[in-house]
Amino acid sequence: MALQELHYTFRATEPQPFPLGWSHSGVVGSGDMEVMFERCMLDGEIRFKVVTPVRGFERVWEQVLGRFVNETNLADVSVEINDNNATPVVVLMRLRQALKEARKEAEG
Amino acid sequence: MTDWQALQQKSFYEATARERANGIVDAASFTELAGPRDRMSSPHLPALGEAIEFDDGVVTGVGRVGKHPVFVISQEGRFIGGAVGEVHGAKMVGIFQLAQQAYAQLAAKGADSLAERLPAVVISFETGGVRLHEANAGLLAHAEVMDQIQNARGKFPVIALIGSKIGCFGGMGFVAAATDLIIMSELGRLGLTGPEVIEQEMGREEFNASDKALVYRTTGGKHKYIMRDCNQLVEDSIGAFRTALASALQQPYAEIARCRRIGSEALVDEQLALAELSCEIQPQDARDVWAYFGNADAAAIPEQTTADFLRTVRRRP
Repeated sequence: MALQELHYTFRATEPQPFPLGWSHSGVVGSGDMEVMFERCMLDGEIRFKVVTPVRGFERVWEQVLGRFVNETNLADVSVEINDNNATPVVVLMRLRQALKEARKEAEG
Repeated sequence: MTDWQALQQKSFYEATARERANGIVDAASFTELAGPRDRMSSPHLPALGEAIEFDDGVVTGVGRVGKHPVFVISQEGRFIGGAVGEVHGAKMVGIFQLAQQAYAQLAAKGADSLAERLPAVVISFETGGVRLHEANAGLLAHAEVMDQIQNARGKFPVIALIGSKIGCFGGMGFVAAATDLIIMSELGRLGLTGPEVIEQEMGREEFNASDKALVYRTTGGKHKYIMRDCNQLVEDSIGAFRTALASALQQPYAEIARCRRIGSEALVDEQLALAELSCEIQPQDARDVWAYFGNADAAAIPEQTTADFLRTVRRRP
């Protein structure tokens, strides 16, 4: 079966900008993923595109990504994920890591 | 991006392709080309339902080592075992083409300028060879890279670094063999047919791929160093690989090209003599060969630290 593309849009309650113009992190290993953030004008929205071989987890993705938006309030950023069977815990951890790295780089 | 100084201490074996690419050239000198933002992922994998990566499993770019522009190819083993598909291969070829352009520009400025700033291509291998999902395109990519190595001969060095988890096997084992200089760590593994494929085709009695010690004795850095299939053996850190690379690039091109292990009539004779020797001594294990070349305590070699090993080892004459 072909790869699946999922799209999600969220709106943060107190919009925060992504700290860099763009950033990339992670490796698409087995059970892992990569993520790319790109700052762009989205009228306060945050958009996700997920490319994954796994089917039937649309709702879980929505919950995990929504949780990430709730805890970070990121807005005006496009997020692309290439997934290779990462579990929800790994997805959330990778997203947090990526943001932490981006903040560190923005300061540094 | 990770701090360059910290990368120098990092294990080469555990580093990602991007970390290796950044760490093997001078501080802050690496510029990635055709990076993740260019989204040059495989056009074949989505139809097969296989995960894609923005860089198709290879980091390509250019950096500096001293005055030398160094064109870098760094493969990522965690993505489909570092297997080479169409885009991955095209990115490798692109790097060789850029090195050719740099060479032509420097050559136009005269011999002195060229010698001082001679470009190099450095490949950090981590691959099992052809990506079977893209079989024909993957094979073609291997042929094209091989072509590029031949085009570089007599002009600028092509240097192989092998010390990552997957090792360097399959078609890319041939490609590595065709480079001018091979630098390995003892954790690096180099071969043509990978251990698991040998076991699958010839049976467990012939080769037990789950016997890690056997796999390392047969394909690992120490064995390759004794056999002169690799030229230099270094500690497992990005810094150690970078230091070895930097000192190699201080040599004139002719010296580096002399490190080639194949590619001349004399070297073919040497390899054939080695095949004859192997029929004569009928080794049952790599240790028999080590002992034959004068390593009295062959059984102790796998346990030695790289430094101790280098101090005492006897290599094939």
